[in-house]
Amino acid sequence: MEDEAALRQSLLPEAAPKLPPPPPPSRSSSLGPSRPPWGGDYGLGSDDRRFAFSRQHSLRQPDLRSPIPAERTRSSRPFLGRSDSSISMPPVEIDGLGQGFGDRGVTEKLTAIGMVSSLVKAVRFGNRPMKRLALMISLNVAYSTAELLIGIFTGRVGLVSDAFHLTFGCGLLTFSLFAMAASRRKPDKVYTYGYKRLEVLSAFTNALFLLFMSFSLAVEALHAFIQDESEHKHYLIVSAVTNLLVNLLGVWFFRSYARVNIVYRKAEDMNYHSVCLHVLSDSIRSAGLILASWFLTLGVENAEVLCLGLVSVTVFMVVLPLFKASGSILLQMAPASVPPSALNKCCRQISALEDVSEVSQARFWELVPGYAIGSLSIQVKKGADDYSVLHYVHGLCHDLGIQDLTVQTEFS
Amino acid sequence: MESENSQPSRSQIIDINVDVPEGASGLNTSKICAGSTCGLSDSATRSKDAKERNASMQKLLIAVVLCIIFMAVEVVGGIKANSLAIITDAAHLLSDVAAFAISLFSLWVSGWEATPRQSYGYYRIEILGAMASILIIWALTGVLVKEAIGRLIHPTGEVQGVLMFAVAAFGLVVNIVMAILLGHDHGHGHGHGHGHGHDHGHGHGHADHDHDHHEDDDHSDDDHAHGHTHDIRITTHPHHSEDDKHKDESRHPLLNKPKKKKRNINVHSAYIHVLGDSIQSVGVMIGGAIIWYKPELKVIDLICTLIFSVLVLVTTFKMMRDVLEILMESTPREIDTTRLEKGLCELDGVVAIHELHIWAITIGKVLLACHVTIAPDADADLVLDKVIGYIREEYNISHVTIQIERQQIQHA
Repeated sequence: MEDEAALRQSLLPEAAPKLPPPPPPSRSSSLGPSRPPWGGDYGLGSDDRRFAFSRQHSLRQPDLRSPIPAERTRSSRPFLGRSDSSISMPPVEIDGLGQGFGDRGVTEKLTAIGMVSSLVKAVRFGNRPMKRLALMISLNVAYSTAELLIGIFTGRVGLVSDAFHLTFGCGLLTFSLFAMAASRRKPDKVYTYGYKRLEVLSAFTNALFLLFMSFSLAVEALHAFIQDESEHKHYLIVSAVTNLLVNLLGVWFFRSYARVNIVYRKAEDMNYHSVCLHVLSDSIRSAGLILASWFLTLGVENAEVLCLGLVSVTVFMVVLPLFKASGSILLQMAPASVPPSALNKCCRQISALEDVSEVSQARFWELVPGYAIGSLSIQVKKGADDYSVLHYVHGLCHDLGIQDLTVQTEFS
Repeated sequence: MESENSQPSRSQIIDINVDVPEGASGLNTSKICAGSTCGLSDSATRSKDAKERNASMQKLLIAVVLCIIFMAVEVVGGIKANSLAIITDAAHLLSDVAAFAISLFSLWVSGWEATPRQSYGYYRIEILGAMASILIIWALTGVLVKEAIGRLIHPTGEVQGVLMFAVAAFGLVVNIVMAILLGHDHGHGHGHGHGHGHDHGHGHGHADHDHDHHEDDDHSDDDHAHGHTHDIRITTHPHHSEDDKHKDESRHPLLNKPKKKKRNINVHSAYIHVLGDSIQSVGVMIGGAIIWYKPELKVIDLICTLIFSVLVLVTTFKMMRDVLEILMESTPREIDTTRLEKGLCELDGVVAIHELHIWAITIGKVLLACHVTIAPDADADLVLDKVIGYIREEYNISHVTIQIERQQIQHA
């Protein structure tokens, strides 16, 4: 079916602007080999990492429909991100997960068996970060079960509550893993934009839970402040140390994302960043508990309050940028990867065309980081050639990084 | 929610289509909308929005004030009577206040005007607020379960059945009052019959409650057109067959049937909070009564907590599913994509449809974007009008962006 093929092509980042085949080539060949009519000379190569805006994706990609072949050497190298860590970006994924579910697949097939089987398949065929995440989740689950059982048998309530906290964290990480696996499905009739939004959703949920955790730590600190140092549970040290070690292992796995402010270029970036922040905050919390115990043995007063308060504030500050970024994508704000001045300039350039009398209702939003979608409405003088105007507008926006554009032309 | 207020603009569009003769270019006024976002916020929808928003905000404000008063009473009483159960209940109420505050904030923000950064307006914040509320419910349930298991291990001592019962009864009464307040839309005639739906006493199990609730839903749903668009309904899984029946009802075009207001999702999420609380109160009352009769069965307290926590989770499931579907930009449930495509292809001049995307900003506000390929000799303006008119009449989607492409004649 033509629309399925078009849909499938539209989700690839390398897709050229989606237009019907061009008219006889007498028009475009007069423009010289690599200069599109809107003058796409931006003065920087695609390797220039000084700029956060992801124009660089589109600059790499040739216009597949033009009769002039462009060089493709640059697009074959993986685009390394912000740091020089030795973890490379995940390779091109082997898609062992098949088609989308069709009608309402994800939400209707949420049976336990279905999800478990898709997770298992994902881990076997997944890329490296997924496998590491699965390893971490299994470690956490094993550890929290052990803690729960020990707590129940020895009658220590503190261990049980810690085990529950860990289980919550595990549940969140499992949701992140599920998002990584499910987001590779092809778009279908119901989820016309595909499933990539799941990664942003999981990042947002992680950030939200981390904010809750920081609030609850603050409440605990208050509680410890009001209630004097009656029984501090010193036996929790062992569990805190183990927790710290497990989480530090997780931080090491995702160390290229261990930063507070990251430029998100792909959908997975947000998910990996949220996982890293999750294990990071958990390790900060364990470290805080250990420090509190140590200070108490040293005889520092109100040590618990201080440490818990410090941990709570730190986690809050660390998580806030991710929360804002993922929230702004879910709220359909203007794309973070396209500078607002560029959008204005684009609209002005379009209205400066001699055939166009007005540009209105220009709306842009991001589906996932790096994939912007827009719609605008232009008024064209009667008798003008709509194909060339469409081609111009699509090309201009595509250079800015807006992959999906719907232009409504009205003839006045 | 907003389906009613498109009626004035819809009848306005119909008039224009009939009056203007074929081929005239005075059709511009129907396409270029007054104000920045047509259908989403022209003057008619904005005033209706504002009225509904004010009504919802008033309701929530009263609920918050009630909650705070009750919480203060409970804290004072709990300190005086030295009972942990009452203070726990007060903490639970605090979380309720937090959830209501989130709903109020979302309602207030959703009235702001659209800015270039936030080009679709602020309606999405409602959805994020609802998601945060539901996650708070889940977190609280987790805390309660953790407390229950902790108490299983470490029995805290004498539990007074009388006190439990009294507090729970009081809580139930307050919750019922708030549920009536939040669930009652004036002019709606929906008649949930909350009075008798919630009247449990001891003998009625939870199944009866749900069944009563749903029976009332059924009767009044038959009165309005679009039974299924009231898609945030509280049903438990045994009523799955009813869902299918309502889905069939939703296939009829909306044309000549009166539409009822859909509930504002924020008020609805607050309502679910209150419902969850009353379920918990019922559980505590049952536990308290049993302990009153036989004080040695302390474990009943914990079992009741666990069972009713699970029930609370079940009530949030459907709403969470709706929220997730909107955030994933999926096609809303009430719109049948295949029928829409077929209908569009049957219009004259239209050769093919591709890149069809339908998505919702919030419950009730649906947008559509697609590319339409027309025959090489057709009149683009006319086809555009026909397509927009068809979509508006049949599916009541008011914000539509159509890109018309001419099918290029291929030279051999």
